[in-house]
Amino acid sequence: MSGSIRKSVLAGLLTAALGAGCLSAMAQEKTAAPAPPQLKVGDAAPEFKLQYFDGNDLKDVHLSDYKGKKNVVLAFYIFAFTGG
Amino acid sequence: MKNFQQNLQKLEAADTQVLGVSMDSPFANKAFADQIGVTFPLLSDWGGEVTHQYGIYTDKYKAARRVNFLIGKDGTILEEQVDKEAIDPTKIVAACERHKINR
Repeated sequence: MSGSIRKSVLAGLLTAALGAGCLSAMAQEKTAAPAPPQLKVGDAAPEFKLQYFDGNDLKDVHLSDYKGKKNVVLAFYIFAFTGG
Repeated sequence: MKNFQQNLQKLEAADTQVLGVSMDSPFANKAFADQIGVTFPLLSDWGGEVTHQYGIYTDKYKAARRVNFLIGKDGTILEEQVDKEAIDPTKIVAACERHKINR
């Protein structure tokens, strides 16, 4: 009798400990800020060639097209057809 | 992207070209641009090469994080905003106007 109580108490403690562990892991995942990008202010922006569709043709865009002429805002977004 | 569209005149007045970038296809991006009324190019980084090069690919989305880079005429990064910060273009607009005045 006392043995089985001890066992169930132990099991209860174990479950609680596991639960607390999971919760703290979840909390950490939620609060841990993602690392900032490796590229920093003052770094050279890597050259690229990308395309867009203007309704008729695919057009090439190079970062170097704008060098000495314009500033460039490169606005990366996650997916088309989503907010923001 | 709509937020940049709303500020496009100010940005263009400050010698700034706005380019959206995502890992969608060029055709999806064109449809997206038409749907939300964006007139600047939405570039397609199909395959994610540039997203990786810029170090902002995220496993969470299997796509780019939301990041704005303001790149100066000399090719260096002048401003950078990440995730939620990157939704509001006010800082970028202010920075462009500031850099224009300083030049």
